[in-house]
Amino acid sequence: MIPVEKSKARANPTKAFFVRMITRDITLEDCIFDLIDNSVDGAWERAGGRPMSLNNDTDLSAYKISIEIDQNRFLIKDNCGGISLDDAVNYAFTFGRRDDADTENFSIGVYGIGMKRAVFKLGSSIDITSTYVGDDGLSSFKVPVNVSDWLEAGNSSWDFDIDEADDLDEPGVCIEVQDLSEATAQSFASPRFVQDLRRAIARDYALHLHRGLVIDVQGKPIKGWSIEMRQGGDFSPMRESFKEKIDGEDVFIELLAGMEALPPDDSDPEGDWDENQNQSGWYVVCNGRIVLAADKTSLTGWGTDNWPQWHPQYSGFMGIIIFSSRRADLLPLTTTKRSVDATSPLYRRYRSHMREPSKTWIAYTNARKQSEREQVAEKESKTKAVPIFEVSARSEVVLPQVSAKKRTPEANVSYSVPKPKLLRLATALGNIRMTYKDVGLKSFEYAYDDLVGEE
Amino acid sequence: MASFDSVNYSIRPSKSVQRGIVFDGLRALCASMNLHDTVYIGFGSIWFTDFLMAHKVLGIDEMISIEASPVGYKRAEFNKVYRSISVLEGRSDERLPEIAAQVEYQARPWIVWLDYDGALDEQKVEEMRWLLLNAPPNSIVLFTFSATQNAYGARPAQRPGRVSDILGAVVPDDLTREDCSKENLPQTLATLTMDFLSSVVADNARPGGFIRSFQIPYFDSVGMVTVGGVLPGLGAAPAARAIVAEQSWKGIVDEMIEAPPMTLKEVATLQAELPFAGELTRDRVQELGFDLLEHQIRSFQRYYKYLPSFAEIVA
Ligand SMILES: C[S@@+](CC[C@H](N)C(=O)[O-])C[C@H]1O[C@@H](n2cnc3c(N)ncnc32)[C@H](O)[C@@H]1O
Repeated sequence: MIPVEKSKARANPTKAFFVRMITRDITLEDCIFDLIDNSVDGAWERAGGRPMSLNNDTDLSAYKISIEIDQNRFLIKDNCGGISLDDAVNYAFTFGRRDDADTENFSIGVYGIGMKRAVFKLGSSIDITSTYVGDDGLSSFKVPVNVSDWLEAGNSSWDFDIDEADDLDEPGVCIEVQDLSEATAQSFASPRFVQDLRRAIARDYALHLHRGLVIDVQGKPIKGWSIEMRQGGDFSPMRESFKEKIDGEDVFIELLAGMEALPPDDSDPEGDWDENQNQSGWYVVCNGRIVLAADKTSLTGWGTDNWPQWHPQYSGFMGIIIFSSRRADLLPLTTTKRSVDATSPLYRRYRSHMREPSKTWIAYTNARKQSEREQVAEKESKTKAVPIFEVSARSEVVLPQVSAKKRTPEANVSYSVPKPKLLRLATALGNIRMTYKDVGLKSFEYAYDDLVGEE
Repeated sequence: MASFDSVNYSIRPSKSVQRGIVFDGLRALCASMNLHDTVYIGFGSIWFTDFLMAHKVLGIDEMISIEASPVGYKRAEFNKVYRSISVLEGRSDERLPEIAAQVEYQARPWIVWLDYDGALDEQKVEEMRWLLLNAPPNSIVLFTFSATQNAYGARPAQRPGRVSDILGAVVPDDLTREDCSKENLPQTLATLTMDFLSSVVADNARPGGFIRSFQIPYFDSVGMVTVGGVLPGLGAAPAARAIVAEQSWKGIVDEMIEAPPMTLKEVATLQAELPFAGELTRDRVQELGFDLLEHQIRSFQRYYKYLPSFAEIVA
């Protein structure tokens, strides 16, 4: 017989376990992005909250998010409307989304975990202040969280206290974190981290920044990446829109693809090829936020289903797929918002649409390799970069036909030299940043002129 | 004082100001961190000016000078100013790891000053990275290199790209040509190289971190930069941080040091006006019977104490 008091195995999570788990698999940068997402959601809601298609012209220039980072403190402050007291009591601090929660319109936040996870990851002394427009004017409150006190208070109460607070300058939220964790403090001491954060914000919030949203880091506003494709002459990118109904709810999809930059003249992986700098690949956008950038992996199809693996020869290609819906939970987001959920049926369905433009590009770069250099250069020189917002609708990528060249047999020369010597020669040839290949060609031409002379 | 030093000093006033600031700072750091048994490592060349100061100002006995040039090495052996200096022949990127591998040097603080010839490049940056990650706790590292704009690209448009090739992700994407002009490049490189040093230490989670302590752009016939900082052990970190945070800390210089070459008569005349709480003006200099540019006057007033005593040259 099992005694009554032993008839249940305890399965309640402990707070400490919970905090460890939720903060484990997310990077510091993505935590900061979770906080930015909350601010952006506030701004988008206040500005009208419509699907963020490329054509949508919502003006976000009244909204500003400021981030300050140093070794002792993290601060994010916005004027995006704030959290109301009711929302704070019932939803904003709940771990996970409550079933009775309203779905926010076209938001990026979806799992109800971002803010908590972010602040726990950052440090252990947290102050969240909100000022909002209530029924009788401006109201404010603050939620101070001292993580060690909260953990020590035991597992029976998970609630946080809400206190009185002075109004912020404008309706909005201000989150300050002190007692940073060691890893956070270390990253914040790295100027490289801060520069990379700026770069990532410029890229992943490009569509919001384009609509006037201001995000500044250390007091300096970030200039959004202007996403462009090349068109003109025989080149046209594709752009197509789709609509799906899931659970009775509309999901809007836009697909763009084409040439983003001139492809490299050769794809010698040992040259001065810099994978990091390369913007080529697929981009996935969910409710305005780029969640996957310049992807060249099987996530966006490369190397699957007879589709070749990414190769440097393909650089210059860019594809963007944009999902938006009133209900963010219908979109193929992961909880860290740093990737797509490849098991999502919606996403899998659209991956087959992504395949076509990729294939067209692969075929072009193959033909291009066999063709007369001047002929290709002439055609490609007719293209110019235009912002993706200006690309017109077309269901297929258009690329030129290039014909194979009459062949003079070619010899490939490859050799290694000490890098400092190469840099010195490049300097002497007039450009210290000349590609290795050009240094090789120029030296060949130089020697040829000198020793062989006229052909 | 030996004649070569006078000659060397008199034509390179900014260099000696820079050295003065560095050794003042090092002295304060050594005292606050309570450093003992320190080893000084540098490029003494044939003059050993910094070695003289390491011995006199910091009281360091054991010193190692590395010299890559074979002739320079012979001359260094001949010229070394103290018997406790060992001169090692070879490149620092080979000799430093050998020093680090010797047990007797592993648990002692190092003061390393790599006073390079030439501009910053990939090789120097690699050596900086190595040193930041391998110097023993409580070491202090310094690097000097030239910031002449042409060494970073023959054409202005090439320079921002070249700087980011060398220093990587710490360089902002919007670095401009203007940032890399003759006037601005020393300060730009000083700041970005400091950012690079801090990032290497932070990104690799070196315990104790890196304390930015010396950032000195100066003009010594060409633009030059000295940067450096402390790699404190956990115990000494608060004391070292406190010293560098003090108002009186001079190691972080916000305006390029450009101490003008001046005649003895000019120096003596200006010096007689100092110390002076206000700012010495150009009008005043003209009243005194000669002329200097504003920033030269500022440099002189701020740093005259670090200038060599010119009287000794004629002695
Ligand atoms: C600028 S001088 C040093 C001046 C000296 N510190 C002073 O204040 O008078 C640089 C010296 O270091 C040597 N040197 C430069 N780079 C070196 C390296 N990487 N390894 C070894 N020696 C180097 C040069 O040959 C030269 O003699």
